Amino acid sequence: MRRITLWLSATVAIVVLLFSYHTSTNTRSAAGQQQPGQPPGIVGAQPTPRSGANGKPSPSSSAKGTSAASVVNGTVAQTQWGPVQVQVHISHHRITDVKALVFPSGSGHDQAINSYALPILRQEVLSAQSARIDSVSGATITSGGYKESLQAALDAAHFGS
Amino acid sequence: MDATTTRQTRRIPPGVGGYRRRGWWPDALSAVAAASLLIVVALWVHGGNMQALFAGDGDALTSLGRLTGLVAADLLLVQVILMARVPWIERTYGQDRLARWHRIVGFTSINLMLIHVAFITLGYALTAHSSLLLEAWQLVTTYPGMLLATAASAALVMVAVTSVRAARARLRYESWHLLHLYAYLGVGLALPHELWTGADFVASGVARAYWWFCYIVTVGCIVIFRIGLPVWRSIRHDLRVEAVVPESPGVTSIYIRGQQLDRMPVQAGQFFVWRFLGAPGWTRAHPFSLSAAPRPDLLRITVKELGDGSGDVIGIRRGTRVLVEGPYGRLTGEMRRRRHLTMLACGIGITPMRALLESEYYLPGEAVLIYRASSPSDLTFYREFEHLARHRGVTVHYLVGRRANDSSWLPRGYGDDLAALRALAPDIVHSDVYVCGPTPWMAAVTDALERVSVPSQHIHLEAFSW
Repeated sequence: MRRITLWLSATVAIVVLLFSYHTSTNTRSAAGQQQPGQPPGIVGAQPTPRSGANGKPSPSSSAKGTSAASVVNGTVAQTQWGPVQVQVHISHHRITDVKALVFPSGSGHDQAINSYALPILRQEVLSAQSARIDSVSGATITSGGYKESLQAALDAAHFGS
Repeated sequence: MDATTTRQTRRIPPGVGGYRRRGWWPDALSAVAAASLLIVVALWVHGGNMQALFAGDGDALTSLGRLTGLVAADLLLVQVILMARVPWIERTYGQDRLARWHRIVGFTSINLMLIHVAFITLGYALTAHSSLLLEAWQLVTTYPGMLLATAASAALVMVAVTSVRAARARLRYESWHLLHLYAYLGVGLALPHELWTGADFVASGVARAYWWFCYIVTVGCIVIFRIGLPVWRSIRHDLRVEAVVPESPGVTSIYIRGQQLDRMPVQAGQFFVWRFLGAPGWTRAHPFSLSAAPRPDLLRITVKELGDGSGDVIGIRRGTRVLVEGPYGRLTGEMRRRRHLTMLACGIGITPMRALLESEYYLPGEAVLIYRASSPSDLTFYREFEHLARHRGVTVHYLVGRRANDSSWLPRGYGDDLAALRALAPDIVHSDVYVCGPTPWMAAVTDALERVSVPSQHIHLEAFSW
């Protein structure tokens, strides 16, 4: 075989092999498609611990912060890396839990950063009992969206007012 | 068949078609290149990367990594376009200067790319709190398009390494050229990770559209001017070998017949890159100057067996189809600014001079040819120069023998470099000086020319070795 033919076929073979690897075709849609998010607002509340027999959440009865415990979704904050939405759990005028419903996970880097940053943000919120928290270094953009969504949730629940 | 008997077809007095009128082209083209850089930097700023510089070590490194990546990618396309043989760019700057810039921009791009790789890996490892090696592995194997980008870096680094002067000197032109084509592969394989993983492109549809536009323009230039135009010209003019004629030991002339060559924008002093289809080693391209003024039906090149495959062409048969890229080169009559002509040639560098002496306008006594060769039998075209001397009054000086030393352009026994130059060409200071030969010899000549105060804008060079 001539050397030029050998070079050419080897090059073609390598390129074909490279493109058969899964990251070499646009698989972003599979990994990067976000959960559509959930409608913002109060999604669950128990007006009082005693009337919990009703079982079903009744958003209309939970207004004015009368409920002892409630679950509120923040708005979906659009950031550069994608939407961020949090869900806040409030019980007896205290933030008891924050869950990130939607966060950027389009790339491995997003996932690596968020697995590290989201627990820190949650901890900060629980100790600060407000959305006035420090951004996490390396995840400033996501932190911004997190705070925005959280503030919207707290406003909807009239938390602190 | 003897090209010297060709009658003068073009007699352009100096100054009429002479000056190159470049006008606004250089400014416009430089502005476009600068704007492309500005746009990628603006993308970077828009993505909030300036603030990230002060947000912590990991963020700062990632941000700088993005900037170097963007600039490297932009320069990568710029240096491809510089060598895409776009006629307007070629005419504006000249191929020699473009080749020099291509080299500088190319190496700058590769260096920035290496910084980009290092900074991004380090920055990602810091922000994700993982080890450097693990992060590098994850980057290559899990991020969209990154395996391709790794292959692209490998291809580009290989091209850069083989173009370092020391390495290039050890390679045959043809091998080097083949390896250099892998740069196209590198440029292509780099695109997916830019669009899918590049933070500033992922975030903005406008940025992605702009980037596609840049790539399409680049690919368009290559397809049209490096492939389409040469193929179209070769077919349209139906170039075929007419005759192969020995000139002197190891030197052979090839006559190539073609149709309507007067409609091809070719001038004496220019060269083509030749491929003789069907002949052994046809895939390898050879740059050869025309050794006679182009005629409407006939071209002539003259080839010296240099042991690099250029001798393959000697065995070519009549009727062989010829594929050309070109014409290229600015060693033409267009460069002339003076009445007097002085030409200095060494070895096979004589070929463009032979063509220019045939086509250029000058009165008897106004043209001087200084022709250096190692031995009397190496004096190619001796008979033709005698003819030119008799009929057109060219003064021809043959300098035969080995060079006196590395810094001298003269053979032994011809005395002082500068005195000899003044004695052989008394009007040299008022001449346009054309020089063609091996690079070290040309360096010695240009040095001597500068020292006898020939203005640099009157010195016209074509390095005959690649």
